[in-house]
Amino acid sequence: MSTSQESVLPAARLVDGVKTYGSGDAAVTALDNVSVDFQPARFTAIMGPSGSGKSTLMHCIAGLDSLTSGDAYIGETRLGDLKDRKLTELRRTEVGFIFQAFNLVPTLTAEENIVLPLMLGGRKGDREWIDNVIDTVGLRDRLTHRPSELSGGQQQRVAVARALASRPTIIFADEPTGNLDSNSGSEVLAFMRRAVDEFGQSIVMVTHDASAASNAHRVLFLNDGHIVHDMSDPTADRILDTMKSIGS
Amino acid sequence: MLRLALKGARANLGRLILTLLSVVLGVAFVSGSFVLADSLRSIFDQVSEDAFAGVDAQVRAVGNDLNSSNAEVPRFSDEYISSIADLPEAKYAEGGIFAFERAYTVDANGEVVRPTGPPVFTGSWSGPSPVSSFRIIDGEAPVGQQVAIDPIQAERGGFTVGEPVTVSLPSGELETYTLSGTIDFGEGGTGGAFFILFDLPTTQHVLELEGLVDSIVVAAADGVSPETLVAAIAPVLPDDLEAVTGAVVIGEQKEDFGTFINIFGNILLGFAIVVLFVSTFIINNTFATLVGQRTRQYGLMRSIGASGKQIMQMVFLEAGAVGFAASGIGLVGGFGVAAGLKKLFSTAGGEFPEGPLEIRLRTLIVVVVVGMGVSLASAVVPALRAARVAPLEAFRTGGQPVRPLKVRIAFGSAVLIPGIALLCWGMFGDPGGTSATLSAIGFGGALTFIGVSMLSAMFAGAVASVIGAPVARLRGVTGQIAQGNARRNPKRTSSTVTALMIGLALISGVAVLTRSILDSFDEFLSESISADLFVFESNQNLEFSGALVDKLQTLPEVDQVAGFSPLEVRVDGDQVRATGFDSVTGTSVVNMGITEGTAAIGTKGLAVLDTTATELGLNLGDTVTVEFEDGFTTDLTIQGIFDDRSVIDADWLFDRGLTREHRITDAITFAGITFTPGTDPAVARAAVERVTGSFPQLAVQDNTEFKQQAEDQIAQLQIVISGLLVLCLVVAFFGIVNTMVLSVLERTREIGLLRAVGMTRRQLQSSVRWEAAIISVFGALLGVVLGVILGWASVIAISDSFISKTGIPWGQLVTFVIVGGILGVVAAWFPARRAARLDVLEAISTD
Repeated sequence: MSTSQESVLPAARLVDGVKTYGSGDAAVTALDNVSVDFQPARFTAIMGPSGSGKSTLMHCIAGLDSLTSGDAYIGETRLGDLKDRKLTELRRTEVGFIFQAFNLVPTLTAEENIVLPLMLGGRKGDREWIDNVIDTVGLRDRLTHRPSELSGGQQQRVAVARALASRPTIIFADEPTGNLDSNSGSEVLAFMRRAVDEFGQSIVMVTHDASAASNAHRVLFLNDGHIVHDMSDPTADRILDTMKSIGS
Repeated sequence: MLRLALKGARANLGRLILTLLSVVLGVAFVSGSFVLADSLRSIFDQVSEDAFAGVDAQVRAVGNDLNSSNAEVPRFSDEYISSIADLPEAKYAEGGIFAFERAYTVDANGEVVRPTGPPVFTGSWSGPSPVSSFRIIDGEAPVGQQVAIDPIQAERGGFTVGEPVTVSLPSGELETYTLSGTIDFGEGGTGGAFFILFDLPTTQHVLELEGLVDSIVVAAADGVSPETLVAAIAPVLPDDLEAVTGAVVIGEQKEDFGTFINIFGNILLGFAIVVLFVSTFIINNTFATLVGQRTRQYGLMRSIGASGKQIMQMVFLEAGAVGFAASGIGLVGGFGVAAGLKKLFSTAGGEFPEGPLEIRLRTLIVVVVVGMGVSLASAVVPALRAARVAPLEAFRTGGQPVRPLKVRIAFGSAVLIPGIALLCWGMFGDPGGTSATLSAIGFGGALTFIGVSMLSAMFAGAVASVIGAPVARLRGVTGQIAQGNARRNPKRTSSTVTALMIGLALISGVAVLTRSILDSFDEFLSESISADLFVFESNQNLEFSGALVDKLQTLPEVDQVAGFSPLEVRVDGDQVRATGFDSVTGTSVVNMGITEGTAAIGTKGLAVLDTTATELGLNLGDTVTVEFEDGFTTDLTIQGIFDDRSVIDADWLFDRGLTREHRITDAITFAGITFTPGTDPAVARAAVERVTGSFPQLAVQDNTEFKQQAEDQIAQLQIVISGLLVLCLVVAFFGIVNTMVLSVLERTREIGLLRAVGMTRRQLQSSVRWEAAIISVFGALLGVVLGVILGWASVIAISDSFISKTGIPWGQLVTFVIVGGILGVVAAWFPARRAARLDVLEAISTD
């Protein structure tokens, strides 16, 4: 299915990932022995019904949650070995995040939010690159505004810019357009796709919106903690068909 | 509804406990004030009754009701003892005389035996009798060349019953007596004071008061009532003596103690009220935030049928539960406070007699009413707001809309303006009477603080930005986030720091007042005193032998000596405040403030205060009739008029050459000395100290030492007052912890986000702590500024010759601000840790 060249190191991968919540009779298996590679410079969407384990998959690879067993890697780094401090530093430098809502620190300006991970690491970052990112997402004239002064779409664009600013190994997006109207949503998705195509950024996006997922190079379908389908070069229609087949 | 409210309370237990603690502190202090005052009252009532237990009648000079602090009371001839004892209505009569700090025992090494703090009492005792309150512990009562002392003094001095004891007399001479026994007073305990007792003739000799007594105490013959006894004694006495029953004396004494205890209790109560007042802000802030957070919950309850009134009742029930619990704990805590204060004052030297702590029903009621009242009153506004929550609020998502400040500003101004007006009226105006003045200042101050607290929300954000700017610059993004959060919710910032602001405002106000007093005193000293050395009794400014002046005058190292002696004289028939001084040398040692005529009034003249002269219509050269203590009456001419720049606090001045002749004892309270020009001050001082060496009670100080001593005393007072006010800071501390916990909780999601994008735990903690530091520094600055204004206003209000200028203790004020910041950092320790421990994923998925 995946056309993985052995010479290229995946941006992130999961090997035999198991995640169980609770214990005994109440135990729920959210990830059931899942292995997956995310190639660099690719835009991958993860889809599946509620409770399929798609969010858990993302959280475990992104270092926000820990696996019950198995290994998660960002680049060459095995997350299970890291203490909180190292993990935090890894998230700061190697990972970018775009959440569904409440993506920005309300007391900081748009620009400060964009460079927040860099500042937290006490780094200046590559100014030219950051300017490039800011122009790409079209936020030049909004830099001094605070989140409350920005529209929902603009806020998500700031979030995209922040994720890109530190040139992380991989960006995770959790329903990044879930709170946006369709116009703003497509705009944000277009920026994400450009980041992959033009800058070679790797992005993994969790969504349940077929048209959002159709912006990706590849779509993984999850159900009951398993990857049930892996689709390349998706279209909205094919995605919907697959979703239907999973749902039934 | 009750169960719902209690559930609400349980769900927010931690927060309510902090709130509870802040109320408990105030309540405990209130309860402690009452408990301590009540206990002291009982103890001193008992002491009074013990002291005069067998006394049926007392004979004394008219106007001497025993409350004279230095016991330099009008004395009278002991010839009346026998005439009273001879009355058939009297079973027994005994004359007594006593004085403080006149005679001392001297140990084998020649060192005077003195307690530190409490005084040394010298008095007469005829041995156990129906009217005596001294008890023999060991040995016998003193007769003739014998002395009895308390056991502690005996132990300290190494004196044994039957062995000789050296006694240093008021004149500085030493005499040897035999220790007849050891004694103690009443039901035991001497309050730390030392006692030296002789029989009456020996005491009169020792005190240089031959033939005189302070009072005569009489026991009635069997079957004779005290009233009958008093009536029988009266005809024996001249006009200036009176006889009263033992009950009257006990009543007077109880009243004297009672007045002192009331003042003491009221001062404590005042501090308690300040602490309670401060805690209302914490309660109010907690409930306001809780109500804000529960808006959705209230909306839901409203939408399923709860009425606004029911919601309001829930908030009140919760507040009532807090108040009730706080009252209970505070009541018990009051015992601790009372015991602690008793101990504190004991270590400070003012030992209280032993006795149980007692709680009266009144205390119980007051404490519950106050605890509940404070809690409920602080919850009024939040409860009303809760009642107004619309059912629709249940469906609103996201945070609470920030209410505009307009209402707050209007309210704040409406409270501040009358507050300031009332405060000014109390300070500068004349509300009539002390309690009216204090009420005006108290209420005015409270309103002013509430007003400032409300209005400070206007600029809390801006000021927090400015204070936070260096933090943001130095600490990078953590500082920047701290700064942003500190200015985020100005209303909360301002109510959080109100307790800190009030506490530090009062402490700084006291500091400014203290510095002003010291600066004024400094100025006064340098302007008014030209003496190189002063001599005075170091304990309570009691009298000492005037013979010292003559001895000092003979020293070649000494140029001028002037002694000052308080007088009991009548001018044209009226008792006046008068001082005798060496008029030839007086002006060379102190500023007498002479405006007309001369200070050298001589034995045929006198000087009068300008305002007194005006009042009586007297001028230079006029003659007045003066009657001295011994009855000597003469006409004296006004030779000088002085004003209030004079160091001497009296309306009339006489020459000591005249007054020493007509006082019963030649005693002075102060002597000033100038050195012979060209003499080495150290040598001169050593010579003076050789002379004063035989007067252990005397202190010899120069200007600098005198100033230092005054400074130390005032500083000590400042420490005591500030120490009590520090309780406000403790309350403030709870308040900051509370707010920071709430803020962290409210920002859970934001914290999750920050952690997700790479903020380490340490950075997060640091950012929370800096936030608290910025908020606290804001409160501290506000407090210090208010304190300076208050202190400055007080200086103007009190202004007389005593406080002539305003001094700003910059160092202390800066320290207060730093302390405020540190307080914030420490308060944020727990909330910061809690924030750092949040699970990233859980935090980020919170609503």
